[in-house]
Amino acid sequence: MTQHDPALLSAALYGAERALNGAILLTPTSHHALEELSGTLIGVEVTSLQLTLYLALAPGPELRLLSHCEEKPATFVRGSVEDFAALIASDDPAATLINGGIELQGSSASLIRLQQVISQMDIDWEAPLVERLGDVAGHQLAESLRSLFRWGEGARKSLQRQLSEYLLEEGRLTPPKLELEHFFEGVQTLSMQVERAQFKVEKLLAKAAARRDRQ
Amino acid sequence: MNDDAVDTSNSDDSTDFGFTRVDRAAKAGLVREVFDSVASRYDLMNDLMSGGIHRLWKRFTIELSAARAGQTVLDLAGGTGDLAAKFSRLVGPEGRVILADINAAMLEVGRDRLIDTGATGNINVVQADAQSLPFEDGSIDCITIAFGLRNVTDKAMALRSMLRVLRPGGRLLVLEFSKPTSPLLAKIYDQYSFQVLPAMGKLIAQDADSYRYLAESIRQHPDQETLLGLMEEAGFANVSYHNMTGGIVAVHRGFKA
Repeated sequence: MTQHDPALLSAALYGAERALNGAILLTPTSHHALEELSGTLIGVEVTSLQLTLYLALAPGPELRLLSHCEEKPATFVRGSVEDFAALIASDDPAATLINGGIELQGSSASLIRLQQVISQMDIDWEAPLVERLGDVAGHQLAESLRSLFRWGEGARKSLQRQLSEYLLEEGRLTPPKLELEHFFEGVQTLSMQVERAQFKVEKLLAKAAARRDRQ
Repeated sequence: MNDDAVDTSNSDDSTDFGFTRVDRAAKAGLVREVFDSVASRYDLMNDLMSGGIHRLWKRFTIELSAARAGQTVLDLAGGTGDLAAKFSRLVGPEGRVILADINAAMLEVGRDRLIDTGATGNINVVQADAQSLPFEDGSIDCITIAFGLRNVTDKAMALRSMLRVLRPGGRLLVLEFSKPTSPLLAKIYDQYSFQVLPAMGKLIAQDADSYRYLAESIRQHPDQETLLGLMEEAGFANVSYHNMTGGIVAVHRGFKA
């Protein structure tokens, strides 16, 4: 379904591939898990962009992004950009896959494992900085960056918590998570009951029509 | 596209060399002189002339090759060996890559580069003419010829020779300059090819004539549909092509039935 200029698509994939492999290189802790996934091929169709691409994990570990692949992937996922963004950011990828808008064909195990490895990547900036700037300056800059990232992460979590508290407790603009989950469960149960009732009505109508035909 | 572009018949003793008609027997020598002249700076010039986009065109060609471990890949007119190095990794130690070119100077640059990058274990370097390939029938899984077919004197003969050495089910990929699909892009591209390109050749390789030949030979090369027809006539099955960068370049793919 890909209708983009192959050269443009190759440029985008080349850039993304380099960035991802650069990140992998700087996270030695992820290498073992990625090596275990070596040989995995995942097909991804982004419906909103009319784009199909393939993600292949090779020994090294190395990640390859392809716009054309003739092998049948063990896992194929289809969804919009928003669906994939939700999956990448999710704390519980299995639940996001089941409840989100992503359509999955084949095995989900490798996809979930890859999402977990990527989300747990802890990039070690010190090695490339020391290599370029020397031991002292490189270490100092890496420490400063680490502090900055720690502060940023703390600030993000704090802001998220405060915003959530404001929306729930003070503004009373959104219902609590548990209440919302209960509501969704209710909606899902109702939807299933309606579906069953509809099926029964259709069955009864079919029976009635058959009886009329016999008379 | 000039009608003379599809000059693959044997009815005439002359053929095109850029926009000039030359004796068929002399073309290979003239092309060799051009590539002898540009060999040492060929990759640098390619990067400058295409803004590095030739690497993306080649990347897509490699994807279309579907090369896998254990296969034998022939990189024809492979010159400086950039495709061969990538195939070397894909086919692995149990596979084989043959880097072939008619031009010794280009092969020498390619061989040195492959040695420098450590990609040598499964690569053979062969000086060969695409029109009469020195390989056994049905011995190759995949052939690529990137920016080389337009320099071949008898394209039909070369395509038949490639078909002969391919295994049944094997594929040929021809990456070559082609005809832009938009008239506006074609005009801009013409200006670039005949004004900017020779000037860059003069500045960087001190050789405007060779780069003028490269631009002229691109215009003389068959367009997308004509090349597709030539491949079908040579006996390739399921021939198709993908335009890239607005048709400036196209990659044709055909299979041996």
